[in-house]
Amino acid sequence: MKENDRKIGKIILWIVLVMVAVIQLFPLIWLVDFSLGSSNEMFTNGLLIIPKKIRWDNYVKAFVDGNFLHYLKNSFLINTLAVILVVIISIMAAFACQRMKWKLSGLVSTLLVMGMMIPIHATLLPNYKIYSNFHLTDTIWALLIPYVAFSLPQGMFLMTGFIQSLPKELEEAAVMDGCGIYRIVFQIVTPLLKPSISTVAIMTFLNNWNEFMMASTYLSTPKWKTLPFSVLEFTGEYSSNYAVQFAVMALTAAPAVIVYVLLNKHITKGVAMGAVKG
Amino acid sequence: MKKKVVATLLTAAMTMSMLAGCGSSDDSAPAATPAADNAPAEQEAAQEPASADDSEAAAETSGEAVTIKLFSNLPDRKNGQGLVEQKIIDEYMAENTNVTIEVEALDEEAYKTKFKAYAMDGMPDVVSIWGQPAFLDEVLDAGVLAELNEEDYLDYGFIAGSLEGFKKDDKLYGLPRNTDIMLFYYNQKMFEDNGWKVPATTDELLTLCADIQAAGLTPVAMDGGDGWPMACFLTDILVKVSGTSYADIISNAIATGDFTAPEIKQATQILVDFANAGMFQVGYDSQDYGTTMNLFTNGQAAMYCMGSWDASMALNEDIAPEIRDNIRAFTMPVVNGGKGGANDIAAWNGGGYAVSANSAVKEEAIKFLNYMYQPDKLSKYGWENGVGMSAQDQTAYLTGSETELQKQIMDILKNATSVSGTPINDCGPSAFKTAIESEIQGVSNGSTSVDDFLAAIGTACK
Amino acid sequence: MKKLYSNKPVIFSLVLPGLLVFLFAVLAPICLSVYYGFMDYSGMGKATPIGFDNYVNLFHDSAFGRSLRNSLLLAVGFICIQHPLAILVAAVLDKLQGKAEGIFRCIYFIPNVISVAVIAYLWKFIYNPDFGLLNNIAKAFGHPGKINWLSQQNAIWSVLIVLIWHGFGWGMLIYYTGIKNIDPVLYEAASIDGANWWTTFFRITLPLMKPVIQINVTMAVISALKQMETVYLLTNGGPNNSTQFAANYLYQQAFKAFKYGYGNAIGVVFIIICVLATVALNTIFRDKQEA
Repeated sequence: MKENDRKIGKIILWIVLVMVAVIQLFPLIWLVDFSLGSSNEMFTNGLLIIPKKIRWDNYVKAFVDGNFLHYLKNSFLINTLAVILVVIISIMAAFACQRMKWKLSGLVSTLLVMGMMIPIHATLLPNYKIYSNFHLTDTIWALLIPYVAFSLPQGMFLMTGFIQSLPKELEEAAVMDGCGIYRIVFQIVTPLLKPSISTVAIMTFLNNWNEFMMASTYLSTPKWKTLPFSVLEFTGEYSSNYAVQFAVMALTAAPAVIVYVLLNKHITKGVAMGAVKG
Repeated sequence: MKKKVVATLLTAAMTMSMLAGCGSSDDSAPAATPAADNAPAEQEAAQEPASADDSEAAAETSGEAVTIKLFSNLPDRKNGQGLVEQKIIDEYMAENTNVTIEVEALDEEAYKTKFKAYAMDGMPDVVSIWGQPAFLDEVLDAGVLAELNEEDYLDYGFIAGSLEGFKKDDKLYGLPRNTDIMLFYYNQKMFEDNGWKVPATTDELLTLCADIQAAGLTPVAMDGGDGWPMACFLTDILVKVSGTSYADIISNAIATGDFTAPEIKQATQILVDFANAGMFQVGYDSQDYGTTMNLFTNGQAAMYCMGSWDASMALNEDIAPEIRDNIRAFTMPVVNGGKGGANDIAAWNGGGYAVSANSAVKEEAIKFLNYMYQPDKLSKYGWENGVGMSAQDQTAYLTGSETELQKQIMDILKNATSVSGTPINDCGPSAFKTAIESEIQGVSNGSTSVDDFLAAIGTACK
Repeated sequence: MKKLYSNKPVIFSLVLPGLLVFLFAVLAPICLSVYYGFMDYSGMGKATPIGFDNYVNLFHDSAFGRSLRNSLLLAVGFICIQHPLAILVAAVLDKLQGKAEGIFRCIYFIPNVISVAVIAYLWKFIYNPDFGLLNNIAKAFGHPGKINWLSQQNAIWSVLIVLIWHGFGWGMLIYYTGIKNIDPVLYEAASIDGANWWTTFFRITLPLMKPVIQINVTMAVISALKQMETVYLLTNGGPNNSTQFAANYLYQQAFKAFKYGYGNAIGVVFIIICVLATVALNTIFRDKQEA
């Protein structure tokens, strides 16, 4: 009897989990499916299609005309730089505010973390004026500055927490050995923060990788445009060809999904650590 | 013979532009690029322009290297107007090797938004504009567009009155690209197969729509997600209701903020009745331009309401031949008791180009602008690519091989007894435009009453 | 040590980059917004000071009210639909052992790593009444006509569905981590007492998850307020402002209607609302914890 109950429970459990998985995945399967057909095959009553002929050329078009490699490179470069800057700046500031003795430490720390409350899009209008006055529009800085600025509060918050939990003894020993502050920060403390750094890095990456509102406002030439632009540009350029639009969407989504699936254990851990703390 | 040379040149430009679009920076060996599928034409082309342009190129390459930034509302560079624009750019760069033209192209709505952002702080050198108050008034007040010398354009063949929208205090700031006419495109074959007839009155149109619905198709594809096509549609109805007094009625309403004139009210009511009768596709008020057009070009809708610039559908290779060869057009049928006749049409000189006042390469930019408007460029290429009517005299370029659709549009314009001028949404300040293009969605889908709609757009004028 | 750790120039050098970023990219734009919020300014040409007029107009602006209501609706939707689902699935997933657990967790999170640009366009197609996925599913279940998912009445719910779908993995993951952190001894004790799964869930899991739930609720409210990108691409606030949100609205006012000053006034009010909401939620939850 009890054995039966457990079996039924298990079946229900699986049904629920599989159903949610289908809901989460099916739209993406649908996307890939239609991206391999031709446009007029879209007008069907079926949920999925079996393309008459698999049209890989949709992907070739998407890859070539969508400037895929160029945008991918930009995305990667800008995000990596943003991550490095956020990590370095937040470690430095968090260490100074958390460990060092000065009157304003509390205030500065609060100020830096307060950025979390500011809605990033409220700064679109004034920042546009500021960047154009400093001739920063259409340069890498127009993206890098806001990306760093709006990931910094979270990084700062997490780093403060992590540094707080580090034992002071190591630093004391280092001071005895005659280490300066900079060496303590970068050679003693930073290596200890490895798991936290990966958390901050992952959070920053996830925050900024898919951002496009600022990119579309501050950039004009393709020089620094990032991956989401493939999609935006394509829908105009190939407005009469749905299948190619689907291909470019699938292609744009691919790098992040592939990296996530490969590194999912680390990313999950990082996100969980960051989110629960934050 | 001459024609053939031109055609080859065009192919050359096209091939080059396609290659450039593919991101191939290696222009020394275009034939090696797999993307080129018309190899013979291309080889021929690769040789011809070289010899033809030698003298000119030699004369002009001496100049300093110049980069002109062009901001365009034509993201599709392989069809219609976008193709024409790109073709001229490529030709210009071939003739003036010291000049590089960088194009940033966005969809109409995105374009207008970004244009305004640019207008605040530094614009690209050459920009697409619309010669209409809603778009241009504030921009001209701020002085961000360069003044052009009207005398320069006397022999460019601009149609009388077409420059008016681009002027302020008698000074010229831009040039019109098209003469736009509001049209119903329809699928002639579909009509014939089902025994449907082009309607002469709005009542007939409603009956026709009921028949089309009964056949399981969408009667009219309407881009209601962007507010402006529906506002143009309302303009079209209003023209049939009020006849030649359209412009007065609108300018009056905008000046006073009072839109309760019986003509406006009646026209809005007709629009609402149309929508209520299911004339437009399900979800028209949230669908964008491309989706709407595709509904028609994929045979899901029998008609498609849009301006004459979309006449290039007839030559678009992405559209199945059985549809693209059968696209025809008619204008808004007359309203019972309306003052507008069949030949009082909604048409205007809207889109065009201008040069930024603060451009660092203003001289060069104006030179390019003038090059584009040489009658045998924009106007001629536009005609050859089936892009509706230009704002210049095109009679010299009639080839006799125009698409049926083009001939129809030409006749519509030729037979017109009056043209409306600027559509309603573009007559007021941009706050009015924003308001009406949003509110018109609400009134057509029945969530706002006609009176509330008229009151709301009135408020936006004040 | 003490001397070393209170060396002012060193402290300054460590904090400086962070402060500079804060000043230049956060504080400066806010100040500029406040300034332009008091101006009648199209964004070009001259700005005329008009005192509080922008704010007075904002108070009467039904579209802005609409966008706040939409944010509230979204927050309620997140809290009442997304989060209960996420907690339940997390709790169920926790029961699963071995490889399957990791695979499901991975699948649930996938939409989260995809760009909003792709998500929004994808759903635009999914909602399309003529060939969209949802409509075809409805047809398969015997619904005859075409359903207008993005009509004035439905659109806000459709937006909610997209956001719930997109953010589900994130919420689930956080609850899942919270559940994993619960001491297994408690569950063992419960099962010895003969408690079934539901009782355990309501008596042990939920109460112990309270802090995690509080964090998630705060985040839900904030993200509902800050919503912009999905709406910008999916509906752009339409039809007729029915899916308008503050961030999208200020963008439209400034860059479409040429009311840059007004847009900045919206921005200022928007920032104030976000800060107030965060502070209020934190205070409420802190009080409760202490009580």
